[in-house]
Amino acid sequence: MRSRRFEPSSGRSDILERKGTILTQYQRDVFINEIRIAAAQDSSICFISADFGAPALDAYRAELPRQFLHAGISEQGMIDLAAGLALSGRKIYVYAMAPFITLRCMEQLKCTLGIMRLPVTVLAVGVGLGYADSGPTHYATEDLACMRVLVNAEIFSPADVEATRAIARYTLQQPAFRVVRLDRHPLQEIYDAGIATIIPAGFCRFGEGARVCIASCGYLLHRALQVQERLVAERIKVDVVDVFRNKPLGASLAEALSTYKAVVTVEEQCLAGGFGSAVLELMAEHEWTGRVIRLGLPERNFFENGGRDFLLEAFGLGEKAIAATVRKAAQSSAGLAAARA
Amino acid sequence: MNATKTIASPAPRFAVTRDPQVLTAKAAWLRRTLFEMFVAANQGHPGSVFSEIEILVALYYGGYVRVKPGQPDDPSRDRLIVSKGHATMGVYPILADLGFFPASELQRFGKPEGLLRVFGNISIPGIDATTGSLGHGPGIGAGYALAAKQDGLDRRAIVIISEGELYEGSVWETALFAAHHRLDNLILVLDRNRRIILGDTEDLVALEPIAQKWEAFGWRAMRADGHSFPSLLESFDAACAGDGRPTIIDASTVKGKGVALMENRAEWHYWRGMSDDEIKAVRAELGAV
Repeated sequence: MRSRRFEPSSGRSDILERKGTILTQYQRDVFINEIRIAAAQDSSICFISADFGAPALDAYRAELPRQFLHAGISEQGMIDLAAGLALSGRKIYVYAMAPFITLRCMEQLKCTLGIMRLPVTVLAVGVGLGYADSGPTHYATEDLACMRVLVNAEIFSPADVEATRAIARYTLQQPAFRVVRLDRHPLQEIYDAGIATIIPAGFCRFGEGARVCIASCGYLLHRALQVQERLVAERIKVDVVDVFRNKPLGASLAEALSTYKAVVTVEEQCLAGGFGSAVLELMAEHEWTGRVIRLGLPERNFFENGGRDFLLEAFGLGEKAIAATVRKAAQSSAGLAAARA
Repeated sequence: MNATKTIASPAPRFAVTRDPQVLTAKAAWLRRTLFEMFVAANQGHPGSVFSEIEILVALYYGGYVRVKPGQPDDPSRDRLIVSKGHATMGVYPILADLGFFPASELQRFGKPEGLLRVFGNISIPGIDATTGSLGHGPGIGAGYALAAKQDGLDRRAIVIISEGELYEGSVWETALFAAHHRLDNLILVLDRNRRIILGDTEDLVALEPIAQKWEAFGWRAMRADGHSFPSLLESFDAACAGDGRPTIIDASTVKGKGVALMENRAEWHYWRGMSDDEIKAVRAELGAV
């Protein structure tokens, strides 16, 4: 079993082991289980689904039927309803497939949850190309760009179940308007329970001291870590930063990224306004003089068959393609450093 | 710049009544007060505000919105949502009358230093939902109503909507939900002045038969004369006597009611300014001497 060390972004000295097991747990089940456990003790918690299920939700419904609502396949109405319940003192979780609970509900999210700053967590499942090969109606490849412009929204994209569990607990401890973007599929475990200590910081660094880092989150964080291993084998040192909180991006992240000559952002989103754009904005605000190189999906619709990894490979987000970009950035920054020396 | 008058300070005198004469006097006071607020702020939506005046007076002074003077945050209060958010200012003088904020705020409506916005928001005491974009109020109201039911509280959510909102899909999503959950403490009051920006709804995209549509969704649908207190009180009495169904009251109104130059005139959806002579004439029409 591989192990990988990671350093919590808070600067703490504790080193946690990265696990290498493939889990059968889904992020959605882990999140909902946390909510169920809390809801059993807190009757103000209410979970609303727009006809989207999960084994953990079956358990929740069986145990806490009075704290569950089916909204119908009515995502917009669900958000308005959630607002009224939240205004009545409830802590609300609304749950549906990512493309439908985000873009379809933009106005509701803005006008109710955002403007009134209501304690509602939006659980968006199946981000990126997670629903391949369903096609562009079912892909959430523009959602991050849209969600991150919403005033008062906090956004998370966890990459494994421990991060998901920690974020679920965070939403319970500090209810607020949040969008939590979950993967459709079980993902390899990265963190142990120590991740909970750094949720407020919003990011986690894997390695330090390299000239180049890859910044990513969610599904593609795993690919970034694979690229890191590949390049280490080539004696090219590259760090990886898991920016699991996509909004807000704080000064501490800017400070961490400022230590690099180049940052390669890797996202399962169309590039316009997405994760890489957010990093660009952050670094520009901090007057950083390094380079941000954005890797993401092209601005098009994806009708092709072949599965998620096939599509990522075909559109420039395969491990080799990412490694090539990072390798070039590393070599370029090394040359630059040598020239400056 | 139009001459402005000091807006009469409604001293705390809130009292519930069913006397049509008293309610009529309240409606006249409300129109006069709001007119001066329009003049002073030089903005707002008089057509939509004046069409809902009797509805608001009947709801608050008729005792259907159960609130306690001076206690805007009382958790047991009924909720009133003006889903047609551009008409929220219609409630401001009433909320001042309830002592929720100083009446002097009415003078500062729409001014940088003022508390009261053109579109209401929950930072204003007595405003239970931030509105503006059409179609959200019914869903928010359903959430309030459901929470009250779940908590075993005798609490109503009353939502004033415009007919324009009936074009929004989220309204019908809520219609399904509220009927399924038997939210008979949810009352929609449809301010049916028939005028949307480009004309009469029935000429543009027909909404009728409205009552049958809501009944088909499992609601009680009632009709009322939206400017007649006996008619409104009768409807509200019936709506508040829950029978397991949410209720919509199709209240027939006139856009700009009470001001001849505004009545049924689409251009007065938004305040467009008046000459001093026009202001003087309207003041006389509204009984402001």
